[in-house]
Amino acid sequence: MTPSVAAVLGLVAMALISILAGLFARRYSRTTSDFMVAARAVPPRVNAAAISGEYLSAASFLGVAGLVMQFGYDVLWYPVGYAAGYLLLLLFVAGPLRRFGAYTIPDFAEGRFDSPKFRRLAVILVLVIGFFYALPQMKAAGLTVETASGLPYWVGVAVVAVVVVTAVTGGGMRGITLVQSLQFAAKIFAISLPAFLLLLHFGGPATPFAAARGQLVRLPASTTYRVSRGELWQLPRATSLDVEGEALVLWSREDPVRAPGAVTAEVGDTPAPSSPVRGSKHLLLFGRQRIPAGTLVWGGSATVLVPKGQPAPFGSATPAATTASWSAPFGPLAGGSGHPLLFTYSLILAIVLGTIGLPHILVRFYTNPDARAARRTALLVLVLLGAFYLWPPVFGALGRALDPSLYGNNLTDAVVLVLPSLLGGWLGQLLLAVVAAGAFAAFTSTLSGLLVSLAGALGHDVYGRWLRPSASAHRRRVAFQVAAVGAGALAAALGLMVGQFDISVLVGWAFAIAASSFFPLLVLGIWWPRLTTRAAALGVALGGGTATLAIVTTMVATLSPQVEDFLARSSGLAVILAQPAIVTVPLAFATMVLGSLLRPGPPPGVAAKLVQLHAPELLGLRSDYIPE
Amino acid sequence: MGRDGHPTSPGQPSSSGLREFSEQTEVGGIFLQALMRRQLRLSLGVAAVFFVFLGAQPLLSTVWRPWTRWEVAGVPVTWVVLGVLSYPLLVWLGRHYVRRAEEVDEEFTDLLR
Repeated sequence: MTPSVAAVLGLVAMALISILAGLFARRYSRTTSDFMVAARAVPPRVNAAAISGEYLSAASFLGVAGLVMQFGYDVLWYPVGYAAGYLLLLLFVAGPLRRFGAYTIPDFAEGRFDSPKFRRLAVILVLVIGFFYALPQMKAAGLTVETASGLPYWVGVAVVAVVVVTAVTGGGMRGITLVQSLQFAAKIFAISLPAFLLLLHFGGPATPFAAARGQLVRLPASTTYRVSRGELWQLPRATSLDVEGEALVLWSREDPVRAPGAVTAEVGDTPAPSSPVRGSKHLLLFGRQRIPAGTLVWGGSATVLVPKGQPAPFGSATPAATTASWSAPFGPLAGGSGHPLLFTYSLILAIVLGTIGLPHILVRFYTNPDARAARRTALLVLVLLGAFYLWPPVFGALGRALDPSLYGNNLTDAVVLVLPSLLGGWLGQLLLAVVAAGAFAAFTSTLSGLLVSLAGALGHDVYGRWLRPSASAHRRRVAFQVAAVGAGALAAALGLMVGQFDISVLVGWAFAIAASSFFPLLVLGIWWPRLTTRAAALGVALGGGTATLAIVTTMVATLSPQVEDFLARSSGLAVILAQPAIVTVPLAFATMVLGSLLRPGPPPGVAAKLVQLHAPELLGLRSDYIPE
Repeated sequence: MGRDGHPTSPGQPSSSGLREFSEQTEVGGIFLQALMRRQLRLSLGVAAVFFVFLGAQPLLSTVWRPWTRWEVAGVPVTWVVLGVLSYPLLVWLGRHYVRRAEEVDEEFTDLLR
């Protein structure tokens, strides 16, 4: 994607709106309660927009479309699962949690079990999940600014960190509630309008599937690619390439040769030496040539023109599937795992259950006046999310038909940012600005929610309860602001180091840790009187701990070839480590249930807690765990 | 409710049922259990409907492949069912739940008053 003035203008406009709204809200945020839970007076409509605004992160705005473009039908489970998580949240958690009336999940953990130690454990997990979730948002920020403006990756990360920290320290929860509801409006407008106009202009929703009958994705226009040494191309059919000057490639019919060192010859060698890798050979390309189907590794930088109507080459990120298998269930994503049905079920479980455990989402339900409002808020969120999630797959599917050059460039994540320009003229440029603004709204709103959660955990829990229980309200608010600045800086620093991980993969990890720790704690804590403190804490520690461990192992494997080799030899282990929820969620549940049954003894006063969680407000018994 | 578990509620409970309930007597415990059971049964029922809707789709694609080739207006039926119909179903189920849950709360309140 070439840098575009319109896209930069869109980014700048959204950044200014966010900062101004945050500063405006600063005037109205005075008390600690304002900062933490927006004085618990947010009406459902505004709160639902803010929650949706916070929830629709870069993974939803950019990632889902990119994944649909890559893998097709199987990816639809992601948006549906993200939305369905809210149904479960509404059914099992929203009302009772609000009635309990605490600020944060650690408040719930301590209040429900009368155990300050449990609070500390919960605080640690809030921090782990929060940082895991913040990293992909930072990556998206860097990438979006990079693709839109051509500025370096770190500029995007830095700009977004500054905008978010300003909004959060300025207005706290009250401020970002306003900012996030504005950002939701920006996002839904930015995704639906361009998608709708693209559908209108390019022949309706059947367009991407019409290509299915032709089986192959063909380039709708001649495309120039700039490739570098070590880059991999999959050619699903024999393809004509027009190379500027000369280029050396290693070609093989079957197994992709992925190592950059596989190309052992230089352009000057004549004849090109045979390759050390079996079944592959070096080819010297010059001018226009027809290359048989197979895999290429480029031996050096080159400029390649692929003429109109040729099959689109695929980069390393996407399996070269026919459109028929792309549009059918169990395509390259689920089918590649060998157990498509099992894979699909575990994917659904991880996504749906993870939503319930996300601390920065849960804290929003405390901002409602009462349980009735909390339920209505969750219902409205379902409406808003449904209206949003219809559109990213439209972008992904249209991208496959309209701009398959993104496959060869490994740029499918940018499909939402690229397609509007195909409309051409001023309309294309205007929509480009709109989607860039929407993308900016996506990662800033999620990041500001995370930052409130992280700063809340550090300022309210670690400082206010752990280190200085006697601190005044004013000092706590200062601690919140200092923590926000520190957490923002740390997240930005970490965000600079995660460039090589996939946005959706990183988000999936945060979901897996949340699903394995806070989800069982909340569901059993709210609905099962016999849950003991010891079993609950052990379950949270075991579930959250093993999930984190599995994910860190996978991250280390990505960075260290030895560990990766070891994991590659035992494929079952690698799958579980990369997608641990299917094991760690039952582990946490089993620990809590068995532990409570083997050594019974629920915490004292459990009956009072359950009254507090479940008694309807109409009875007039209610008062908040932490009074005003 | 205070942190020590004693009610610090505004206004003293007026009826005997409400007092039993708020003071967590044995009778109050039975009231509460009944309320929780009704709410939980409602939630589990609604959740079950959606999980059957979700879970049936991959199963159907496994055992009866032909449905994956059906199309409406050039779009595969599988895409429409999962990517479009899921959302109105979610909203409908959510609305049904909120109504029923509020009814259960109200009936319970009437019972105690």
